[in-house]
Amino acid sequence: MTVILSFFAIGETKIKSFLLSLIFFVNLIFANYQFKTIASDLDDAWSFDFLNENQIIFTEQPGKVKIITISSGEIVEVEGAPKVQYASQGGLSEIVLDPNFKKNNVLYLTYSALNERGKSTLFLMSAELSNNALINKKIIFEAKAFRRVPIHMGAKIDFLSDGTLLLTSGDGFDHKEKAQSLDNHFGKIIRINKDGSVPNDNPFVGNNNVLPEIFTYGHRNMQGLVVMDDGRIFEHEHGPRGGDEFNLIEPGKNYGWPAITYGIDYSGAVISPFTKMDGMEQPLKYWVPSIAPSDMIYYDGDLYPELKDSFLITALVSRDVKKIKKTNTLITEESIFSSLNSRLRSIGVSPSGELYLLTDGRRGKLLKVLSTKE
Amino acid sequence: MKIAKYPFAILVAALFTVALTTPISSFTNIIWLSSMNLPINFFSSLEIILFDFQRLGTLLYGIIIIEFVIAFSLVGLIQKYVPETKYLYPIAGAIITGLTLFLLVEFSTQTEVLAGNRTILGKFLHCLAGFAGGYLFNILISRERKISFVIRTLGIIYAYLILGLVLNWIFTPISAASDFGFIFNELNSSAQNALLRDFTSFFVATFLFSIIGVITLNSAWFFSAGIIYVGAGIFNLIAIYAHGTDYNQIFIGEFLLGSFPIALGLITSYQKKKAEV
Repeated sequence: MTVILSFFAIGETKIKSFLLSLIFFVNLIFANYQFKTIASDLDDAWSFDFLNENQIIFTEQPGKVKIITISSGEIVEVEGAPKVQYASQGGLSEIVLDPNFKKNNVLYLTYSALNERGKSTLFLMSAELSNNALINKKIIFEAKAFRRVPIHMGAKIDFLSDGTLLLTSGDGFDHKEKAQSLDNHFGKIIRINKDGSVPNDNPFVGNNNVLPEIFTYGHRNMQGLVVMDDGRIFEHEHGPRGGDEFNLIEPGKNYGWPAITYGIDYSGAVISPFTKMDGMEQPLKYWVPSIAPSDMIYYDGDLYPELKDSFLITALVSRDVKKIKKTNTLITEESIFSSLNSRLRSIGVSPSGELYLLTDGRRGKLLKVLSTKE
Repeated sequence: MKIAKYPFAILVAALFTVALTTPISSFTNIIWLSSMNLPINFFSSLEIILFDFQRLGTLLYGIIIIEFVIAFSLVGLIQKYVPETKYLYPIAGAIITGLTLFLLVEFSTQTEVLAGNRTILGKFLHCLAGFAGGYLFNILISRERKISFVIRTLGIIYAYLILGLVLNWIFTPISAASDFGFIFNELNSSAQNALLRDFTSFFVATFLFSIIGVITLNSAWFFSAGIIYVGAGIFNLIAIYAHGTDYNQIFIGEFLLGSFPIALGLITSYQKKKAEV
């Protein structure tokens, strides 16, 4: 009764905002997610993208590219996947369709492999998809980040509105200190054109001591990258024991790893006693203990109203999705999909706005999140 | 005491080796941080070294005890067939330390988890620390020790382990809270305050009790430390089964941490009575 009376006591605008808050709150409480298994027994599936509303193309780390038809569950293997080094954390990783895929059928793949001199590093390949085969394959980038084993590869891709491409290149674990040096690609975000050339407006172009592809540096193992419609770039990266980070990326900036960190080494040793330093960027948010963030999208669809305008971050250790809402002054976090209790590897949105999840490991699953309306 | 002196010597030699190996990683780190022009000074270096002792050192202590048990047992067998020399244990210590680090990388992590082991110099220094550990082991087993020496040394080892927890709660409370399952930043201010003061004083008190026990050889101090941990274990179980809290297997550690000083207290008390008679 008090609530009803309060409607009469307050203005129309306040009533609207009260009702909206109430709807949001009720939505939140009663958002009981259901999941439909689209495919199972996937072999270390790592990344996926939508060819259309009914077909998903995905990678498996041992070196396979496959297409699944959602309505039938039929899976076909795409011919011509690159030869990869499937070991430790490495293998075939990201797959992303070109923004003009409908016209040019081009897609991009990242993977770890041995180069001509037998050294392990990160590669970025472009290829055309034609009759379930990859043709016109071109290696457009080979990271100058050679390591003994393929670990901490990064390997995420996204596109900027100017048509250039961002690629994350991880610190290689044993080479973490090199994330602070600009003569290599360990712990860097790379910006290149789609043909592999370097854009003239990259932040370090013209500096002979710096590799011109470098966009930002001081990163660890970045497995989430989102470019917003307004041009802002958000990234997340695995910390060591604690210290996973959610960052706003700006060209030329140093994100501090391993000179500053909120985590400690797996051995228990100190990596750095510093968490802040002039000239090094602070994360928007960090996690102690680690959640092991593995992928990220920005959801702006309408099918899941309670998730609208949120970052959705899949997590391997906390076995859920972190819903991050960011305003100018506040970042809120909520755990969703924890009922799956699975290590979640990747998340994606279909053209119509439906959410899909990929679980991690040798018997992974592709799941569709049924909207609250369903 | 003849049988007990071998495990005692292993524990002491391993602790000594930890004291030598841990700073290798700490200094590797400090040198790099300094090269980046970060404001490393005496206190931040000390913080790194102490923190590494109590976190990395505890891990290494477990590994080194196991490797020394294997290596020195083999030497014990070999010694029957080779001429007696004081260098067999040191050489075994060096070899087993190098071998352990090699196997850790090749068959476990595939990465150099120990920062100090990435360079050839670092590898050599680790082996040298193993050599020194073996040398100390040889000295410790070569003559009989007084029981008070053994109690004091075991008390110091116990205090060393507790010191790790103390330093963790003083210098890195967020990480320490995380180890106990608390997400520090999600607690309200009062809860953060309660958590920090209670846990820190809990570990500082038990650390001081054991140190005073080592100095005075008064069993009451060892019993005091033991009662606190055994009490924590008992009330942990009461919380789980009487109050329905989540199961928390930390009670096993609490009983172990309580049993050790109680055992030291009992031995001290027994020796005292024996001396009086």
